[in-house]
Amino acid sequence: MSDHSSNGTPVPTDAPQFEVAARNPLRAEKMTAALFLLSVASFAGFGAAYWQNGSNFWLGGTLGFGMSFFGAGFVAWGKYLMPRGPFEEPRAMMETTPEEQKALIDDFASRGKVAVKRRGFIVGVMALAGGIFSIVALFPLLRSLGPLPKNAFYTTPWRKDAYLTQSDGRRVAVSDVPIGSFVTVFPQNDVGGALSQTILIHVQDGAIITKPGRETWGPDGYVAYSKVCTHSGCPVGLYEQLTGLLLCPCHQSMFLVAKGAEPIFGPAPRPLPQLPLYVDDSGYLRAQTGYDEPIGPGFWERGGTL
Amino acid sequence: MRRLFLPVGITVLAIALGMMFFGVSEGATKSGNPAPVRLTADPGPTSAASLASGEELFAENCSTCHGAEAKGSALAPNLQGLGSATVDLWVSTGLMPLSVPTAEPVRKPDKFTNQQTLELANWVQSLTPGVGVAIPTVDLKGANVAVGFDMFAANCAPCHTITGAGDALSGGLEALPLHGVTATNVAEAIETGPGNMPRMYPGALTKTEANDVVAYVTEDIEHPSSPGGLGLGGVGPVAEGFVGLFLGVGACMLIALWIGERTEREDPEQAHDELEPTHV
Repeated sequence: MSDHSSNGTPVPTDAPQFEVAARNPLRAEKMTAALFLLSVASFAGFGAAYWQNGSNFWLGGTLGFGMSFFGAGFVAWGKYLMPRGPFEEPRAMMETTPEEQKALIDDFASRGKVAVKRRGFIVGVMALAGGIFSIVALFPLLRSLGPLPKNAFYTTPWRKDAYLTQSDGRRVAVSDVPIGSFVTVFPQNDVGGALSQTILIHVQDGAIITKPGRETWGPDGYVAYSKVCTHSGCPVGLYEQLTGLLLCPCHQSMFLVAKGAEPIFGPAPRPLPQLPLYVDDSGYLRAQTGYDEPIGPGFWERGGTL
Repeated sequence: MRRLFLPVGITVLAIALGMMFFGVSEGATKSGNPAPVRLTADPGPTSAASLASGEELFAENCSTCHGAEAKGSALAPNLQGLGSATVDLWVSTGLMPLSVPTAEPVRKPDKFTNQQTLELANWVQSLTPGVGVAIPTVDLKGANVAVGFDMFAANCAPCHTITGAGDALSGGLEALPLHGVTATNVAEAIETGPGNMPRMYPGALTKTEANDVVAYVTEDIEHPSSPGGLGLGGVGPVAEGFVGLFLGVGACMLIALWIGERTEREDPEQAHDELEPTHV
């Protein structure tokens, strides 16, 4: 801010521009002082809270309020108690004249031709360096796309004879789960694995409508489905025991447990893949084989409904 | 436009103070909520007199739908063989009795005293002695809250949400909020599987793990720390985003308006003159 008027002479100190902006300066001053006082109180409160080992709530609250009032005080001071202006400072024009422009062009055209000669070999080598660099720079870019998935989309760690194992390492025996309950299980060599997570549900034996070819997959009313939703891969973990529905928390797909986990509502395009089970001689539940289809959401190579 | 200063300032302050106040008061009510542990070791209402009292309460409040012998009817399920835990859970959380027989069960204050609830539960249990789940004894000493959290996250949070606020299920069903329940209620729900909720013990949880979950729910879900002040019900990013965008950005806009607004004592003619561009 310069205290000069538009004609370059200093603004007299009794000019209207030097009056404070507030209509009632005394009131504005009181208000500004009040803001700073609130700031003082808040900062003091912060000190007290710190000294008393106060919670983050009080530490952050007092510090935040203190800084807010501190800033508000400055803004109020600047807005209401400073000269209201406006003041102007003259400056020179910055446009170039047509003569100056013409002189620059002439100079460049005449002297430039002399300075930069045609050097074909150097130009070629320079282009080679630039070209090689552009190609090599692609390598890390391509590598950052990661390895090809190969058959990772098609298989899970579930194998023939794998034990159904809970997250705490317990193997599930046929007598462990009451009817109406469910357990999240993994193969024993991949406990906690995201691709392996499988929901084991004990329904009333005979309540299952078995799909052709799956007659032996659900012994004693136990059925196991991949917990990875066929829509976008969320864990389908909401089981309603009375309605026999599995719900996906992300997009509200509903799967009918008794009927091969067919989707009856929501965006899921396919049933959840079912894991074939059997009960071994010791009464433990085990997998007959791994999943017979890719689990989770669709992908291009899978074909069919994505 | 001086007159905007006070309203804007007051609004900003009110928002900030309001959030602080609600945060504090919410925390206060949460921590003031008692979660008594009900012990079955209390022999109280198993005497003949208390069983008679339980039968009378049942006849007055429950038999219309569940039948005089608690065997159920077209309106309501058979209660025989479920055990006292189920009765205690449904009655002490206010889910039962229903206001009208066709209503959906909702959480409301317990209609009965603690003693009456136990008399009811023990009378139903006395119809089938030794059958069903008895009201569990809860002892949270030595419970591992960290394991409880892991188990809660894996087994309970899918429906009840990670803050225990509850959430919608299919067809108008609802996973009930866990706030304001007793430790015994949590243990009863885990062991009986009320309504659409699957039984979690036995099965998904061991007895120790079930006790850890009860400890986690009683200590953390019932007493959320809400370090930011206002918990907003723990219902997730929609509520939090609304407050952040509407109140937070709104406050910033009001502040920016105040800072950038021209002060009022400008003489209109003079201001216009002085703003004319001038060249030397």
